[in-house]
Amino acid sequence: MKKVLMPLAIVLLLCLIPYVAVRYAGQSYLFGVIVPYAAAALFVSGVLFRLFDWLRRPVPFRITTTAGQEKTLDWIPYSRLDSPATPMQAWVRVLLEVFLFRSLFRNNKAELREGPGFTFASSKWLWLGGLAFHWSLLVIGLRHARFFFVELPGFIVPVEVADRFLDLTLPAFYLTDAVVLAAATFLFVRRLRDAKLRIISLPTDYFPLFLIGAIAVAGVLMRYVTKADIMTIKALTMGFSEMSFEPPGDIAPVFYVHLFLVSVLAVYFPFSKLMHMGAIFLSPTRNLCNNSRQKRHVNPWNRAVKFRTYAEYEDDYREKMKKAGLPVEKE
Amino acid sequence: MSNRISAILALLIAGAMFVAALLFMQSVHGASSALRAAAPVAVARQVPIDSTRCIASTVYMKSHHMQLLNQWRHDSVRKGNRAHVTSDGRRFDKSLNTCLGCHASNPMFCFMCHEYANVKPTCWNCHISPMEATR
Ligand code: HEC
Ligand code: HEC
Ligand code: HEC
Repeated sequence: MKKVLMPLAIVLLLCLIPYVAVRYAGQSYLFGVIVPYAAAALFVSGVLFRLFDWLRRPVPFRITTTAGQEKTLDWIPYSRLDSPATPMQAWVRVLLEVFLFRSLFRNNKAELREGPGFTFASSKWLWLGGLAFHWSLLVIGLRHARFFFVELPGFIVPVEVADRFLDLTLPAFYLTDAVVLAAATFLFVRRLRDAKLRIISLPTDYFPLFLIGAIAVAGVLMRYVTKADIMTIKALTMGFSEMSFEPPGDIAPVFYVHLFLVSVLAVYFPFSKLMHMGAIFLSPTRNLCNNSRQKRHVNPWNRAVKFRTYAEYEDDYREKMKKAGLPVEKE
Repeated sequence: MSNRISAILALLIAGAMFVAALLFMQSVHGASSALRAAAPVAVARQVPIDSTRCIASTVYMKSHHMQLLNQWRHDSVRKGNRAHVTSDGRRFDKSLNTCLGCHASNPMFCFMCHEYANVKPTCWNCHISPMEATR
């Protein structure tokens, strides 16, 4: 239980810090300007560091994970997606993984049942929950463009309109706000419910869930319940996109909680499991094509070895071999 | 085979849910019109009003006007209660047109902010907008 409660306590503390500091100590410049810029700088440099660190590791061999027939003879059909033969096919596979989580779709569950019973079945819940969670986060992220642009980029408008089509409440209710909270709750409960998962889950699995959940709750509160002044907030965020250091206007503390948690997330991101966002594009088991049979891949850090072929060997020792009665290939 | 059965089942369930939703909406609708018939529409008393102050503090209006409008819409359309009394005792009709009564001098009043904040309320699809009101 401690590994669940600790991250929860940390997140609650993180909510409290900006609230108290802004509300009672007037630290709005610190939490509205300095912390976000510092977090953005750490985020960008951290992510770049991790990516370059991965990019500079050599990948001498094809270690593609495959789940289908490899390309061999022309008349044997092969699986373009699950055993890609060209870089293009491999990238299509990466993109489908990123957008549809194909590997999670294959998820299985194995369970011991009461009495001597064992079930082995397909389990789609993680796939569905993960998909709902990530897609909502993407849509929510895109929607936030309204704070950083004078005019919304064209392709975001239909996303926004679709998201609010239910036209409940004022300001209009966004579907993804509910979906992301439901999905985060599901992903959390999923870890608690199953004994096996409970054991392998670490505090670092719970912390990002709680953090993202808290960010969403603060955002929802600010939009539908306690309201913060969007005009002043937009003045601040437009300042961010112009790199200005103007002090923020009078904004409700809940906004600073939201912003501070996002800053924490940004700083935490490069150094945690959240880097799977960049890693998925760079993992050699997915972005390499399986063409070891068509193309010879030479390990670049092999020492240069002087090879000697059998033919050369025989040329040198042919007479001696004949004398000893050994068979030779060339007379 | 089992695939086809589950497809048929899914269709049946979807159909049942659709019918249930229809029935639900029907019943809710019936209830609200019954309520409307019961509650006489309270009309705001016409008294000269002080138009130098908004119906709530400016700071509050700035961030909460949509919640207030939502409340007004609910009260007048669903409950038939159209009279709004401000904290300083002025009376207003709970209607979008009330806002325009004071804010019509600047036809861009609602739009300036919304343009800046990238919000597009759907209200003007049906209601008269400040731009049309001043024309
Ligand atoms: C001080 C600037 C300002 C003025 C003036 C203003 N609004 Fe708004 N309005 C906003 C902002 C900012 C939002 C977005 C709030 C949010 O997203 O939380 C908003 C949102 C709304 C919404 C909800 C939109 C949605 O997202 O569903 C409605 C309805 C609305 N305003 C109506 C009006 C009307 C009617 C007027 C004119 C009488 C008006 N507003 C004048 C700033 C303003
Ligand atoms: C009695 C006249 C009156 C009515 C009715 C009225 N307002 Fe106002 N409103 C004002 C005045 C006057 C101000 C400017 C107050 C100030 O500058 O301090 C104002 C300010 C505002 C502001 C803040 C504008 C800003 O730039 O900060 C908003 C938003 C607003 N009103 C929306 C509405 C909405 C929505 C309605 C209808 C529900 C409404 N008002 C009805 C008189 C009125
Ligand atoms: C689909 C068209 C439509 C849209 C969109 C719409 N309304 Fe209305 N609204 C109506 C109609 C019709 C009535 C009148 C109902 C009646 O008189 O019983 C009404 C009544 C109201 C009333 C109370 C009575 C009055 O005379 O104003 C308010 C307040 C109101 N709407 C606010 C809003 C707001 C705020 C929005 C935007 C978020 C909005 N409406 C969007 C159709 C619409």
